[in-house]
Amino acid sequence: MKVRVDPELCVGHGRCYVLAPEVFEADERGLCLIPVAEVPPELEAKARIGEENCPERAIVIED
Amino acid sequence: MDTAAGAAATGNADELPDNPFVLDNETAGEPQPIFKTLLSDAPVMRTDFGVVIARHEDAQFALRNSELFSSDMDAISIGNVRPLIPLQINPPDHVKYRRLLDPLFAPKQVALLEQDVRELTNQLIDEFVDRGECEFNSSVAIPLPCTVFLRLLGLPLEDLDLFLEFKDNIIRAPGETDVEMARVRAATGERIYDYFNHVLDEREVERRDDLLSQFLDAQVDDHKLTREDILDICYLFLLAGLDTVTASLGCMVSYLAQHPEQRRRLVDDPTLVPGAVEELLRWETPVPGVPRVLTRDMEIAGEQLKAGDHITVLLGSANIDETEFPEPDNVDFERPANRHMAFGGGIHRCLGSHLARLELRVALEELHRRIPDYALKPGETPRYTQGIRAVEYLPLVFPAP
Ligand code: HEM
Ligand code: SF4
Repeated sequence: MKVRVDPELCVGHGRCYVLAPEVFEADERGLCLIPVAEVPPELEAKARIGEENCPERAIVIED
Repeated sequence: MDTAAGAAATGNADELPDNPFVLDNETAGEPQPIFKTLLSDAPVMRTDFGVVIARHEDAQFALRNSELFSSDMDAISIGNVRPLIPLQINPPDHVKYRRLLDPLFAPKQVALLEQDVRELTNQLIDEFVDRGECEFNSSVAIPLPCTVFLRLLGLPLEDLDLFLEFKDNIIRAPGETDVEMARVRAATGERIYDYFNHVLDEREVERRDDLLSQFLDAQVDDHKLTREDILDICYLFLLAGLDTVTASLGCMVSYLAQHPEQRRRLVDDPTLVPGAVEELLRWETPVPGVPRVLTRDMEIAGEQLKAGDHITVLLGSANIDETEFPEPDNVDFERPANRHMAFGGGIHRCLGSHLARLELRVALEELHRRIPDYALKPGETPRYTQGIRAVEYLPLVFPAP
């Protein structure tokens, strides 16, 4: 699984990195950073939690 | 009042052209039925005072397209003489201010306040815990966020009452007519500018460890913030950062007082509190709508909208739209997917959302630790305000320790 964030849509609600800090991080402004785009199988569920709770639908998951 | 269309057509819209909300005093306590009618029968509805957009999808579209749905000074008049920063600033300038402000309110930064907020909450609870009853709004919901805010800006706590008067005169301006209300707002606006001007003069001479001092030295686009910029930021903070948290805390505790089985779950397992904060923000949506002005003609859901139309993006209905939230009436603290819009969205996403979440979580944690059992005082009903849904009267009883 690959995960990315659309920088045009992310406005820093912070749901992703609060609910799934293993996959998502915050930059200085509180916008989403994804240090490793390739999600290992054991973190796939976490990545989906982040995606499903982003109010802007800024997180894109590619299986 | 039986239908949503009726609510808007017969409500006090004539008296309140500045008020972007469909709610009135009676429905503010339980707005969900009206929102449902809007979603099913009138997802885009033209009223005397503008167009109400109810669906999650359309609300998200509006908030994402800030050039088309503008939040500039035409959208709402709240006593200010210049655009409030950053709410009434459009792209491309908007992001310059957010680049400056976001780091000050980022989760990492606000996390430093947790201990402080916890102590303050406990001090407030100490005041009434032995009495076995309290009026929650005046005992906790008002003083908690207002004290946090004064400390953050570095203002003296004695100014609390003055601050409350400022924000209430703007958000719930007294007066029988529009003209009277506008006059109160304008006069209060002047006092707000004067107040902050005076404090900034002091900070100009001597910096302190507070936000106002940081603003004085802050850079935007290689130049310093002007005095007017800082005033326009402070003015908005006063209106955006006090009442909203008060209202949210009131709505949440009122809900929990009336749903003991839900409260019991939080008492038994405090790790559910963060999820409860999100779900109650969704269900209660304390800021039920945000105002916009349309800049071009367009069509939404088959309705023709015109440039210049005043739009209310109804966050409260978007948050119970079943196309986004399965079983929207089920208040589920463990809802797996919760894309609620209680803090708005798009570029004007609430700057204070992380601070607000911290205050709400800590307040619910401490309240339930200290007072696990509480209920509405028998024979009394909570009273909600229109517009922002503050619970201005919330009498609670509980076993004294
Ligand atoms: C639970 C409490 C709160 C709620 C429900 C809330 C809600 C909102 C909403 C819905 C918006 C969007 C307005 C729009 O798009 O027209 C907003 C914007 C804003 N809020 Fe909050 N708010 C809360 C707490 C706070 C706090 C504590 C602050 C403290 C500074 C704050 C500061 C702001 C600012 C500055 C904006 C404008 C952001 C911009 O235009 O870029 N809010 N808030
Ligand atoms: S939840 Fe969405 S908008 Fe918020 S920080 Fe994460 S990606 Fe950005």
